[in-house]
Amino acid sequence: MARRHLDTAISLACLALTFFLSPGAAFSETVPQPIAFSHKNHVTVYKMNCRFCHSSANKSQYANLPSVEKCMMCHRSIATDRPEVKKIAQYWNGKKPIPWNKVIDVPNHVYFPHNKMVNAGIPCLTCHPGMDQAGTAVQNLEFGMGMCMECHRKKKVSIDCWTCHY
Amino acid sequence: MLDRRQFLKLGGATAFAALFGGCEKIPRKLIPFVIPPENYTLGEAFWYASVCGQCPAGCGIVVRVSEGRAKKVEGNPLHPVNRGKLCARGQAALQALYHPERLSRPMKLSGGRGSGSYTPVSWEEALSLLMGPLKKVKAEAPGSLLMLTEPMRGHAGLVAGRFMKAFGSPHRVAWDPFGADAMLSANAAVHGIRDLPEHDLANARYLLSFSGDFLETGISPVHYAEAYGRMRGDRETIRGKFVHFGPRLSMTAAAADLFLPCAPGTEGFVALGIAHVMVRDRHTAASSAAGRLADDLGAYSPEEVEKKTGVRAHDIAAVAEEFSRNQPGLAIAGTAAATGPDGEFHCGAAALLNVLAGNVGKPGGVSFPNRAQAFAKYGAEGALLAPSPESGYAGMRAALEKMRGGAFRMAILSGATNPAFTLPRSLKFNEALSKVPFVVAFASFLDETTSLADLVLPVPTGLEAWGDDPAPVGHAGAITLCQPVVEPLHDTRSVPDVLIAAAKELGGEPAKALPWGSFRECIEKAYGGPGGEMEKALRRGGFFGESLSPRSAARTGNVAFPKAAERPIDGDPKAFPLALHLYPSVTLYDGRGANLSWLQEMPDPISTAVWRNWVEVNPMTAAGLGLAEGDGVTVTSPSGKITAHVAFNPGIAPDVAAIPLGQGHTRYGKYANGRGENPISLLPAGETYALQATRVALAKTKLSTTLARTAHPEGQWKISNLM
Repeated sequence: MARRHLDTAISLACLALTFFLSPGAAFSETVPQPIAFSHKNHVTVYKMNCRFCHSSANKSQYANLPSVEKCMMCHRSIATDRPEVKKIAQYWNGKKPIPWNKVIDVPNHVYFPHNKMVNAGIPCLTCHPGMDQAGTAVQNLEFGMGMCMECHRKKKVSIDCWTCHY
Repeated sequence: MLDRRQFLKLGGATAFAALFGGCEKIPRKLIPFVIPPENYTLGEAFWYASVCGQCPAGCGIVVRVSEGRAKKVEGNPLHPVNRGKLCARGQAALQALYHPERLSRPMKLSGGRGSGSYTPVSWEEALSLLMGPLKKVKAEAPGSLLMLTEPMRGHAGLVAGRFMKAFGSPHRVAWDPFGADAMLSANAAVHGIRDLPEHDLANARYLLSFSGDFLETGISPVHYAEAYGRMRGDRETIRGKFVHFGPRLSMTAAAADLFLPCAPGTEGFVALGIAHVMVRDRHTAASSAAGRLADDLGAYSPEEVEKKTGVRAHDIAAVAEEFSRNQPGLAIAGTAAATGPDGEFHCGAAALLNVLAGNVGKPGGVSFPNRAQAFAKYGAEGALLAPSPESGYAGMRAALEKMRGGAFRMAILSGATNPAFTLPRSLKFNEALSKVPFVVAFASFLDETTSLADLVLPVPTGLEAWGDDPAPVGHAGAITLCQPVVEPLHDTRSVPDVLIAAAKELGGEPAKALPWGSFRECIEKAYGGPGGEMEKALRRGGFFGESLSPRSAARTGNVAFPKAAERPIDGDPKAFPLALHLYPSVTLYDGRGANLSWLQEMPDPISTAVWRNWVEVNPMTAAGLGLAEGDGVTVTSPSGKITAHVAFNPGIAPDVAAIPLGQGHTRYGKYANGRGENPISLLPAGETYALQATRVALAKTKLSTTLARTAHPEGQWKISNLM
């Protein structure tokens, strides 16, 4: 009896570890963030371009997170009484970066250059659907190889292995 | 109690947890900047142009900098010296930058002199430790200050020169073990100009090399290698032919169309044999010179030369005929010829061939641009800025004598030439330096020389500093600008910066002589400053447009005939049957590269050995001595003794043992220390710094180490087929 309990405990522990520790789950639950930033407000309500904040999306493989300085460019004078904006000001006054939690992962061994996609005219929402309606960042799409291949085929761009895997 | 099965399960689960637990370490935080640096884009790289400081050739580099870190060094395609190419030593500049053993703070001696134990101090304390004795020396005996550096050029040379002059000390000594003294003297005798020549390899049709290992080492290996590539393959209908004479099959010799081995120290005789045939058969372009030289050359018939050199008479005659028919032809004497006791003779004989071929001042030949012209605005001070190709050996010996006599109260050391390592032991550099009461060393690393100092001041590497650099050859008037490509990694200050600050504190003449706030300001004032021409030049890497007019004085008519002194090299041939052939390592140069693991790991192109030095022996000689590949041997000369491993080289003369320089460090960090012994300890302390100056004997011995080689010598050479 004791042995069976031990076996079950070990199996459960392994399972729990797998779920708990595996990096980059396909669909994320809402990931807690230090500031309840609203993508919807910025993108849909105020019609801001994604690249205003993610400024290197057309220049680098990384889309880039905005610096605290960039947030404060507007929020020095806009909505300064909101509790979440006050939090930004606190970071700014303390000259501390905002420790965002990572939400979106590309599978291992894939090279994904944001600049190539953006410069080819692919809208951000193609890979980040629903971001314009979201609060903090969400990942609503599974970045599997099938999705990439489908789009690459449709657009007649290279599907050579080393286009993405190198 | 756990049974075996449960134990295994638990073990498996632990391993599982450990394995997947590792994944948790993937960072899940994204930390943006509070204020991003200017022009910063994550993942986007910038290329900054600067100059390579890994050897004195002065190649232009571009450094890829991404996220504020230098990540790759390449050759600057716009630079006239290396035209976009770069050697392995240049690439390894990154390792010097990020080296874990780099000096990051000033240090003062905490144990006995030479103990190597230091305590870190602040810059304020370090400068007060420097200024105390400096002020005292200035007030009491300014002539007792010694500045011992590697050759400095550009405005760093100006700052050092002016500092010493204003301080009142004439004792500024520059030391470079591979200085081209013999070539300079030969050019003075033959061409009437004591300077390095520009060899226009790219346009030559025929190239004769007398132990000129210009593809691997020499004055400017990348410049020569790039031009050599163009000589061989850049012209549609001409492929320049290359013939190499020398006692050892080097990488350069292996690239030749024809490698004709000669006895060690006889390169000049082969050249005179060729000259003899050219004059005898009236194949010379310079007929007036030929007429005058006919008598002198009479004694050097191919048959006579064969007796001396071992090169067959008909080979000499055939090469002479080809050389004179295929003009422009070029003759080059290299390090191994120049660093023998008769170096001046060998270089002079090669220079004579250039005169007879009539290529002086012509495309595909040799020329002597007026280098002083680049710094003409400085008048007499221009010499402080121009590159100095001299070794400074005589000055070094004189300084050592004075040190022993107690003439110096303070010494300032700087540079990578590491005299405690590169000077023959019998000169007793360490003992002489111990007679100087206060020694300050500027360095990026502790080495055999800097660890003898009382105070060590850390300097930035070439990738973190401002400066300018006129290259010794291949530049035709270009000045390379040096800029920090990254923020300095450590709390370092450059030598000119410290000298400028010291001059300010000394006041009076020194302060007047160095009127700038910093070395950067000195450079900016000299080149038009930010916003002006300098900014454009920084983007290109320097000022490359202006070409220098050649000196008209190159003598082609009244040529002095080179005379062989035929000085015997050290050692009785019976007791020491082999001539020692020391050559600069293609990776470690004079030993300065030995602390970089990339360079230690790079196989020598001929022996394929890594991480240790070896002695190259002809397999036939080795068989006679009962030595097998990889055996340990004791190499004994009249001046010293070292141990090394045997590496066969079927392309080496049977009476020669060759050892590369660079290994044998004892105080140069964990990558350099204990990797064989320093072959310079085999050398006598002669009148000139001669690397081919002694004979040696080999005796088998047991070594606890082995020689790692990346290719099996049998597979590479098929020795059994050759024998």
